Amino acid sequence: MADPALRAEGVRKTYATRGGPAVEALRGVSLSVRRGERVALLGRNGAGKTTFLRIASTLLIPTAGTVEVFGRDAVSSPEAVRPLIAVVPQEGKPFFHLTPREQVYCYLRARGAGRDDATARTEEALERMGLDEVADRLSITLSGGQKQRVMVATVLATRAPLLFLDEPTIGLDPFARRAVWESLRRLTAAGSTILLTTHYLDEAEALSQRLFIVEQGRILVEGSAEELKREVGGTLRVSIPGGDALREELASFGPTVEDGGSVTVITGPERINEIMGLSVRAGLSATVGPVTLEEAFLRVVGRSIDED
Amino acid sequence: MAFGLRWSGTAAFLFTEVRLQIHDLLALSTATLVQAVLVVFVAVLAPDLLAFALVGAMAYSAFLIGQRLLNEAAYLRIDQRLNELYHASPMSPEAYFVGMATGMLVAYAPTVLVFVPLVQLVHPLGPLEWGVIAAVVLAVWVVSSALGYVISTLFKDMKTIWPYSSLLTNLLGIVPPVFYPIGLLPADVHVIALLVPTSAATAIAAHVAGLEPISGDALALAGAALSLQAVVLLFVGIYWARRSAREA
Repeated sequence: MADPALRAEGVRKTYATRGGPAVEALRGVSLSVRRGERVALLGRNGAGKTTFLRIASTLLIPTAGTVEVFGRDAVSSPEAVRPLIAVVPQEGKPFFHLTPREQVYCYLRARGAGRDDATARTEEALERMGLDEVADRLSITLSGGQKQRVMVATVLATRAPLLFLDEPTIGLDPFARRAVWESLRRLTAAGSTILLTTHYLDEAEALSQRLFIVEQGRILVEGSAEELKREVGGTLRVSIPGGDALREELASFGPTVEDGGSVTVITGPERINEIMGLSVRAGLSATVGPVTLEEAFLRVVGRSIDED
Repeated sequence: MAFGLRWSGTAAFLFTEVRLQIHDLLALSTATLVQAVLVVFVAVLAPDLLAFALVGAMAYSAFLIGQRLLNEAAYLRIDQRLNELYHASPMSPEAYFVGMATGMLVAYAPTVLVFVPLVQLVHPLGPLEWGVIAAVVLAVWVVSSALGYVISTLFKDMKTIWPYSSLLTNLLGIVPPVFYPIGLLPADVHVIALLVPTSAATAIAAHVAGLEPISGDALALAGAALSLQAVVLLFVGIYWARRSAREA
């Protein structure tokens, strides 16, 4: 059987701090990403997603553990891994004084692509990311979303078998986000493997075939978005803002999750009327909807993804 | 692949860097401002030292290229995070460093070359003398570029880097005898001046140009110091580029 695209075992990373206690950014992360898969590391800021991605992409040396990319050791032989990967760094920006066309082309040439190949792949990536119209403008004149798309285009154009994208759609408008998602889907359809980090629940759900929820340097759970939602214990969510006082009664209808002053009950359609009645009698409003990844995240982590 | 070094991608990154630098000719031309002002001062205050100051200005310009590299490398790493794009790629860290350094050299070459016709006008030199001057100027560029690259990796924000960059430029470019002859300094500090890359380069250049002859021992010391610094710092720069490409 072919090696997985990425396999990590017991990866730990501890940062020494001047005069303070050491910070454990990763506490034994193990995961495997199959070839052609789109996988997301989902977690709050500071959960350890970027640290893991930087280790897997040979930019950071782990304190302990092993990482293999297509069977090659990323810790001891980074040179063997680098031709197989490409990375969009978190908060990375394109060269401000190159045009998108120059940026993508120059990067491909630096990676060893021939002139004709680099030219063709540049044009394709720019078109795919909807950058044709601004391809010859200096990147410094582009909007934040366009700059981010240039970064993604630069990496997509490499056609590297394994792509790492650290918060690839941060700051993008909805149109641009969907353009990035669509490109990433096409890439995996063509055989590339993608590991991305995100703290956008909708992105993790829309984009990843499998996701890992990361919290405090550990992977708490893995599975598809649907699997994680099923484990929440119901198909519907009833959110009652200010429902703290009803918490005990609400718990009798199903699992509850709290976020600020709001209580959400996970339940089935047969209990909805009772819960609505309870909230109306208490003078509270309630909203009903399908269970989302947010409830799954809250249940697993115990805190909202936006909470610092 | 001597010493396991890989140079693939160097030319492409050199081109990238040249393209980046020449976008703003005004910014590029400011790299001659200090030298030009000092040369004017010398021309007014001590006209007989004008040719010397012009030769010194070339060494200073070469040194300044490395200091611009310091800012460029730090900017790409801290503000743009583009070093990660390149380090997680088949292009080696040494190719990144050397490509950036040579790109800066190509882009900023006019800031050195602008002084050639002026020297030639004031104090005509032959090809041999120009050959020696070119060699010492390149040695200063190597030393300064390696220093600049290493320093650029040591800080986490640009605001901290600026004062150090400025300090280094003044300490190694203005204070030592670069725009004035070493003979104006007390004999006790000549050895120190000959160990500083910029003033060593200027002393050698001034000697071969017949502007300020120095003793054979002094010439040997300056030549040895500059050559050694260039070779050692080139290796240090490459070593550091490889080491800093992966954070520990």
